[in-house]
Amino acid sequence: MGNDASESLTRFRLAESDSALPRHSPIEDEVVSLFEQFHAPVIRYMLSFRLPIADVEELAQDVFLSLFDHLRRGKSRANLQGWIFRVAHNSALKRRLQARRHSDRFVYEPVLSMAATDPAPGPEECLALGQRQQRLLAVVRALPEQDQFCLALRAEGLRYREISEVLDVSLGSVAASLEKSLSRLMRAERA
Amino acid sequence: MQNKSVHLSDKELILAADGELSAHRRAGVNKHLETCWSCRERMRSLETTITDFVRARNAELNRLVPPAAGPRALLRARLSQAAAVPPHSSFWQFPLPAARAVQLTAGAVFVGIVLVILTVFESTMSAEGPKPRLGITPGEARLITLEEVCSYQRAEVVSRDIPNDMRQKVFAAYGIKPAQADQFEVDYLITPDLGGTESIRNLWPQPYSARWNAHVKDKLEQRLHELVCGHQLDLKTAQRDIAVDWIGAYKKYVGENTAH
Repeated sequence: MGNDASESLTRFRLAESDSALPRHSPIEDEVVSLFEQFHAPVIRYMLSFRLPIADVEELAQDVFLSLFDHLRRGKSRANLQGWIFRVAHNSALKRRLQARRHSDRFVYEPVLSMAATDPAPGPEECLALGQRQQRLLAVVRALPEQDQFCLALRAEGLRYREISEVLDVSLGSVAASLEKSLSRLMRAERA
Repeated sequence: MQNKSVHLSDKELILAADGELSAHRRAGVNKHLETCWSCRERMRSLETTITDFVRARNAELNRLVPPAAGPRALLRARLSQAAAVPPHSSFWQFPLPAARAVQLTAGAVFVGIVLVILTVFESTMSAEGPKPRLGITPGEARLITLEEVCSYQRAEVVSRDIPNDMRQKVFAAYGIKPAQADQFEVDYLITPDLGGTESIRNLWPQPYSARWNAHVKDKLEQRLHELVCGHQLDLKTAQRDIAVDWIGAYKKYVGENTAH
């Protein structure tokens, strides 16, 4: 076939050897199922801590290993979504604290790419859409951090009660935070 | 600002949009929206803002989210390892003595034990040094045949010097300052003789001075080479075990107490 050297390289995929592994326990299957459901939301949420993606991927693995331990010990299964985000939140906070001790570490700073916007509109609409999105994201970045977390958790589908538990604040604080953030976003859209 | 006596407040609109109002209040809001064009326009504007924000956020972040297949397979492997170890029992699962004085004494003893454990743990961790981080170094291997693996008598025959620019990339990824670089060897996680590539996904900084150092890992590499070529261990299993937890693999294949 004449494959070149790069084609002959293959990423080490653990999936290939999955068939050789022993049968999985129901809790393992449950954790993997929750991982499939919440992998992307948890990664997106932890990226709001401005951590490098490599750190975030690693932390996400640890979150689900902790979940396995939690379930295996027979602890509460009530609101596992909230539990996952609470552990993710605390892990990301801790990692960021560690990263700040190494100030030369690369820190992710999100930049909106035009290529990432919806490709369906024409060039001018795309430009306008991109500018509007940039304006909204700029407003979000200017919010106090707690408000950013609140908004990010709501965007990932958490109810107010769950957000209050993740951030350890009152229900009223969540409502007030979201009201403040959305009011600012609406003003930015009208501008 | 809207006149609250006539129109719905921003807060009520947001709570209604998020389904956070009581059934009674929600009914009241819906009734108001049926008749008030102004509030309906504000509600639509709110929904548009939410939609635009979610689109902007997803456009920015989704391109950074890796496909789930690789991380899921890695999690499966780590869960299998974790499942092999029994869960730790919790101190607090045991009933405490009823007498308050006994409780306080037990509490003080417990705190003392925790402090001792933390001190020992801290010194042990610093002695072990950093481990390969899964997010940076998950392990990467090329296609390799068993014949190719076993064409070498010893594991380290195919190891090569790693270029300086690659070494610098590895140090940067692990946050190691240039002044500290001479304390580390940039090592392959999956060794080249087992198919390990010279990629940043397969390289990590291994401390010279730690208990689990490069010389200890060499023993494991040689042992895996012998097991694979002796048809006692599957090549993929060897690759996986050394990639997921090389210290655990050492304890499994070489022996718990031979690393000193």
